Amino acid sequence: MIDLEICCGTTCYMLGGAALLELEKALPEEWRQLVDVRAVPCTDACAREDLGRAPFVRLNGELIANATREKIYLRLSELVAAAGGEK
Amino acid sequence: MAEPFVEMEYCQITKDGQCACGDDFQWEKPAGEERCIAVLSDGLGSGIKANLLANMTTTMALKFMRSNKPILRSAEIIMDSLPVCEVRKISYATFTIVDLSAATGRARVIEMGNPGYIQLRGETEIPPCSTGNLVSSRWPDRQMDISEIQMAVGDRLIFCSDGVTQAGLGRPEYRFGWRRQGLLEFARELILADPGISARDLSRTIAFNAMSINPDRRCVDDITCAVIYLRKPRTLRIITGPPFHKEDDGAFAALAVPDGGKVIVCGGTTANIITRVLHREVHIDLKLACCSGGLPPPGRMDGVGLVTEGILTLTRVAGLLEAHEWEDAPAAAREIIGLIEESDAIEFVVGTKVNEAHQDPKLPVDLEIRRNIIKRLHEILEKDYGKKVTVRYF
Repeated sequence: MIDLEICCGTTCYMLGGAALLELEKALPEEWRQLVDVRAVPCTDACAREDLGRAPFVRLNGELIANATREKIYLRLSELVAAAGGEK
Repeated sequence: MAEPFVEMEYCQITKDGQCACGDDFQWEKPAGEERCIAVLSDGLGSGIKANLLANMTTTMALKFMRSNKPILRSAEIIMDSLPVCEVRKISYATFTIVDLSAATGRARVIEMGNPGYIQLRGETEIPPCSTGNLVSSRWPDRQMDISEIQMAVGDRLIFCSDGVTQAGLGRPEYRFGWRRQGLLEFARELILADPGISARDLSRTIAFNAMSINPDRRCVDDITCAVIYLRKPRTLRIITGPPFHKEDDGAFAALAVPDGGKVIVCGGTTANIITRVLHREVHIDLKLACCSGGLPPPGRMDGVGLVTEGILTLTRVAGLLEAHEWEDAPAAAREIIGLIEESDAIEFVVGTKVNEAHQDPKLPVDLEIRRNIIKRLHEILEKDYGKKVTVRYF
C-alpha cells in the first residue's frame, strides 16, 4: 500500500489542504486499492521555513510541500508504476 | 473532594396566545462569591403586563439579595414599585428566592405566593421546614415563608409557578390540579429511573408534562419549573497549544490522560506532542471532511477522546457560544460545545508557544492569538453558561 497522509493543521487547511481532504473520492478506481489515504493532525512542517510552504502531504513518508492535486497525482503515478514494476 | 457544582436550570412555557411569558426566572453567581441566587416570579395575569411585573420582581429581588439587604424591606420596596393593574386595581407578583452557598450547602428559601419548594435527596423528599415568616405591616396579606435548609451533594431543589401545580384543572382525574403532591411523585419517579438526571432535563420534563396533562394539552397558564442540582462537578479539560518550553512536553501531555473527567485536544501540534509522549494514535474520519463547514474534521485519540484542529475551531466555538446558536455548526465545533454543555467545570490547559506560520500575511484570514481566544471562552462560559472555568498555562 502507498501511504498518503494529508495534513489537517491550521496553516495547511487554510492554504489549500481543505480541498485535498476529499482527494480519496477523486482517485482513479484502479488506484484506490493501492493508496491508503489518511488525515493527520499536523505534519509540523509549516513551522520550518526550510521545508517549503503549506499545504503539506506525505507520500510514503516523503514530504511534499505546496501540495496540489496535480502534484500529488504526479508523484502517486510514479509510486504506482514503481509498485507495479516490483510485482 | 472538589467543591460541589450548582447546576441551575429552568424551563418555561408561555400561555397559549400570549407573546410574552408572565413568569420570570433569573439567577446569578455573584463574582468572587461561592454563592448562587435564583429568583422565580409569577406576575399577576398573563402576557406583557404579567411579564413586566414578574421581570421587575426578579430583577429587584436579585439585586437586593446580592447586596444582602433585609428581606422584609426589600419585599416592601418591590411591592411598592410594581405598577397597579388597571383592571384589578392591585399590583401583584409572587416569588420564590433561593440563596445558596455552594461551599456549605446552606440555603435560604424565601417564598411568597408560589407553590412550596421540593427538596429531594435522591428520590427521597426532605420535608420542607419553614423556620419563620415575615409580614409587612403595609402589606398584611402578603406573608413570606422563610426556610433555612441544608443541601447535600446529590440534592435537588424544585420550585415552580402555579402553572405547574394547577396543571390538569378541568379534567376529572385532576379535580384539584396536579398539585404539589403530583409534581413530587412525578419528580421522584424520574429520579428513580435516572438517578443522575440533570437539572435541565428534570425541569424540562416536568414543565412539558404539566402542559401535557392540561385539557387538550394546551398551555392554559404560564408554566415555569426551576431545578437546582448540587452535584459532584463533571469536569472537562481542553488542552491546546504546544508548551513554551519543550522540556514541559511530558508534564503537558500527561494531562491528556483522563482522570475522572473528559478531555479534548485542540491543535495538530498539540495532538502530535501527546501522541509522541503517550504513544497514542489519532484517527480522523475523512468522511466528515465533506461537511466540515470550514473546519478540519474532528478525530479521536485512543484513551483520550476528541481531537480537533486548534485556532480555527476554538475561534468558531467562541463565536457560536457568544451567539448562543450552534444547531448548524460544523462537526468539530458542535462536538466541543456538546461536551462543554455536559460539563460543570472546564479547565483549559494552554501551551503558549506561537506557531510563526500562523502569522503569515498570506493566510486568507487573521488568526487570533490562542491566549485571546481562551480569554473569550473563559468569559463567555462563566458569564452566560455558569461554568466554573480555570486556565493553566504552559
